[in-house]
Amino acid sequence: MRAIPLLPLLLSGWLVLPAHADDAQDQLKRLAQAEQQQSYSGTFVYERNGSFSTHRIWQRVADGKVREHLLQLDGSPQEVLRVNGVTQCVSGTLEEGVSSVPDSPARAFDAARLSSWYDIKSAGTSRVAGRLANVVTLTPRDQHRYGIELHLDSETGLPLKSLLLSDKGQLLERFQFTDLNTSQSLTDQMLSPSADCKPVEVVKAKSDIPRQKVAWRSDWLPPGFDLSSAAARKDPDSKNLVTSLMYDDGLARFSVFVEPVSGAAVTDIRTQLGPTVAVSRRVTTPKGDAMVTVVGEIPIGTAERIALSMRDDAATTSKN
Amino acid sequence: MSREALQESLSAVMDNEADELELRRVLSAIEDADTRATWSRYQIARAAMHKELLIPHLDISAAVAAGIADEVSPLKAGRGPWRTLGRLAVAASVTVAVLAGVRLYNQDEIAGAQLAQQSQPTNVAMPQAKGPAVLAGYTEGEQSPGPMASGVLQNQAGWHDQRLPGYLRQHAQQAAMKGAEGALPYARAASLENR
Repeated sequence: MRAIPLLPLLLSGWLVLPAHADDAQDQLKRLAQAEQQQSYSGTFVYERNGSFSTHRIWQRVADGKVREHLLQLDGSPQEVLRVNGVTQCVSGTLEEGVSSVPDSPARAFDAARLSSWYDIKSAGTSRVAGRLANVVTLTPRDQHRYGIELHLDSETGLPLKSLLLSDKGQLLERFQFTDLNTSQSLTDQMLSPSADCKPVEVVKAKSDIPRQKVAWRSDWLPPGFDLSSAAARKDPDSKNLVTSLMYDDGLARFSVFVEPVSGAAVTDIRTQLGPTVAVSRRVTTPKGDAMVTVVGEIPIGTAERIALSMRDDAATTSKN
Repeated sequence: MSREALQESLSAVMDNEADELELRRVLSAIEDADTRATWSRYQIARAAMHKELLIPHLDISAAVAAGIADEVSPLKAGRGPWRTLGRLAVAASVTVAVLAGVRLYNQDEIAGAQLAQQSQPTNVAMPQAKGPAVLAGYTEGEQSPGPMASGVLQNQAGWHDQRLPGYLRQHAQQAAMKGAEGALPYARAASLENR
């Protein structure tokens, strides 16, 4: 008999909780839409341990095209122009091996996928850049990713503020608008880059160059992370074959670089730069030693485990 | 037991850094007049170093011992099944603590070495839907520039010097090229150029 008074409580709990989570998921869906459909201009700051910078963004959605123009306002004028998610020009030099054409279509915020790895909750309201914002927290369900706090504009759904937090609650990075304008119409001039923005060569044209086969794979990955791109290239300086792999869980991302080394001078290393961790491990394979470097926005213990789980398929198959 | 080892243990006890074994060693030797004299001298030296007030030759150990002897031990009261249960509970919580400790230990090491920030007591409490929202009580106390503040890899000569900055940039630029999540990956890549 004692169970009966509890029953309504349990039932109401069932009803209330999913509704709450749904609300937060709806917010994320709205965010994904807003990033594709909302024209706006604004100024934001980016902060991580040891670095603080201010940037301006103009985004115009017209004729089914999303044009994004980004410009750093302090220090060197870092500039990027993107059309429909494909980078058109950048100031500064791109690293060797960076491909301007996404291997896979850019995935927008997939709230359903994210909810497998993050506990998505609505957490009240706040005020950012003079605008009312709804707060959504993404708390990781395991220790292999960081927590995120998003403040989404209640009018448009755009992200006004985004914080990355370690499992101890330490702030790893901050992205925050100081000013956002969604009503002003954007002129062509605002969306055209300066002369310093160098056009990005479309790597697709070079695709007739035979791509090196990627022989490395991971024995273990944190749950939810999938391979999003893989490439192998000859490094022009060292003449070594460098394999690069990129994985993501829909939000967090890490890269794995593998490069053969000889000599005993190279040691293991682990280091952290704001939200980004870098772990280098020397791995012995039948074909010789290799340095496996994991770089990404993931906890250092996870990066270490990934580095130790990389296997050379070519080495094992040739042995058999 | 050597005199020297005992003195070391005494010193450790005084600094509150003795392990179980040392504590036992000291307790078993404390009846000895020499040991007591040494202990007393250590206390005077310590008080002098710390500029503390000291009343020399104050020995309250006899009174304390007498006080303890008079006291009824609370343990004697609780015999029977509850005691067994209590022991089980202790064993269980020790297991939990050890399991949790393994994880925390790893995390501590990482945070301590890498973030070079104030370590806060682990506060996993996430906010519920209420009030001004903050995911966690992070502190922005003294953010002493960590080892990474000015450059990626001071003290790391050679291979890492050449390769790691490139890898960091390649990762950031490739992420920015994906074109997802708006401006955040761009900002990360741009911040790498500012060093």
